[in-house]
Amino acid sequence: MLDAHFTKRRRDFTVSFSLELGSGESLGLFGASGAGKSTVLACIAGIEDPDDGHIHLADARLFPPPLPLHRRPIGYLTQEPSLFPHLSVRDNITFGLSKAEQADTEHADWIATLKNRLKLAPLWSAPASRISGGQARRVGLARMLARRPPLVLLDEPFAGLDRQLVRELIDDLVFWSKSIGFSMIAVDHRADVLMRLCPRMAIVLEQGQIVQRGSWAELCGAPATPLLRSLLAPL
Amino acid sequence: MSEGRSWMARAGAALLALALLYPLSALFARIGAWQWSAQVREPALASVRVSLVLTAIAMVIVVVLGTPMAAYIARCSSKERLVWQAALLVPILLPPLALGILFTLAFGPFGGVGRLLQHYGVAMTNNAPAFVVTQVYVAMGYYVLGAVAALDAVPSMLQKQAALLGLTPARVFFRVTLPLARLGLAVALSIAWVRAVGEFGAVVVTAYYPSGMPVQLWVDLQSYGLPAVMPLLVIFLAVALPLPWLAHVLAQRRSNA
Repeated sequence: MLDAHFTKRRRDFTVSFSLELGSGESLGLFGASGAGKSTVLACIAGIEDPDDGHIHLADARLFPPPLPLHRRPIGYLTQEPSLFPHLSVRDNITFGLSKAEQADTEHADWIATLKNRLKLAPLWSAPASRISGGQARRVGLARMLARRPPLVLLDEPFAGLDRQLVRELIDDLVFWSKSIGFSMIAVDHRADVLMRLCPRMAIVLEQGQIVQRGSWAELCGAPATPLLRSLLAPL
Repeated sequence: MSEGRSWMARAGAALLALALLYPLSALFARIGAWQWSAQVREPALASVRVSLVLTAIAMVIVVVLGTPMAAYIARCSSKERLVWQAALLVPILLPPLALGILFTLAFGPFGGVGRLLQHYGVAMTNNAPAFVVTQVYVAMGYYVLGAVAALDAVPSMLQKQAALLGLTPARVFFRVTLPLARLGLAVALSIAWVRAVGEFGAVVVTAYYPSGMPVQLWVDLQSYGLPAVMPLLVIFLAVALPLPWLAHVLAQRRSNA
């Protein structure tokens, strides 16, 4: 489904990445802060353009040439959920849906499911500029999932949240990735978060290079570098 | 800052603010009864109509042409942006009288565009089109540079998120960029409005007729003296000041919120 092989020059090093990810699969992208993980997601999302290589998602060629952002069937959630402050929570969540889609029963049911599961009912009419950081993450998650994208990219979306909320959000994401069938690539510098979110497969980046890929059991059993060993030590 | 020094700083700021507001006290100066006879009133009211209608038309042109240019400049590389900003600064920095003379020459029989216009029977002096176009020249730079700053203030990540949610660039502009920049755009427009409606130096050369308020004030001052100027001056201030003042206060309030 996702076929990505590309390089991206950064000021300090070059990020080289390659991945083939099947439909409905999830991948944890792990490494220390500044290893190039966010750059990888930004290139796949289209926020940044790779310097070389190719990215295909199902039948769509994302790069090269760069496919315009509005044609990319991708959900992208970052640490800062970037809600539209001039709109209500409801309007943020339905932002990417056309009028016809909003009127459609199936879509309406799906939005109602998101609203209930993410406990958004009390906030529904509130301005997005007036809600707390934790609430904003839930709204951002609902907005991303409202269009049911086939690929979801998560760039440390749980940083700074309390453990209980993180656990709930991870459970929701895992549940929906199975029920909707979207693929998922998640970035985090905390291995325990990634192991819960993407339990099967992980790629480890150091200085922009892939140093190891495999199951979490393989990574924990035989870490390829001293840095990875130290990152996994707390587990 | 200690309490004593803070008090002194506040007193200093208050003195400067008072000094800046002091000229407004002249509205209550004892210069005798204000003159508002038919001889003064009719051209004065005509000048109010001319200023309001023609400046409004000029502002529509400024917004329609200036907003897309500002949107383009806001997306440019910093090098290219410098070129556009340098070009927009020229009409701002030109002394108004010099701009009026250059405008008259360029759009008159000595200029290429002027000859072309004459060929089609369009004169660009002492008429409404000359008035409007002069105001557009005078105000455009102020509006576009202000609009670029307003558009720059919208976080680019919001626009990218909107695009990733399936919105085309045009829809991103109308649903995200414009609503978030609207107060900044209003401030830019209000500055352009004040600059255009108060323009004298350039307009007195290009469009002495139809006379707008600044030209009529000057004519009244020359012909009848201060008492004949005061009523139109009050109208002039009422038209020029409140809108931009309100836009600025609102913008400040929002940025302080």
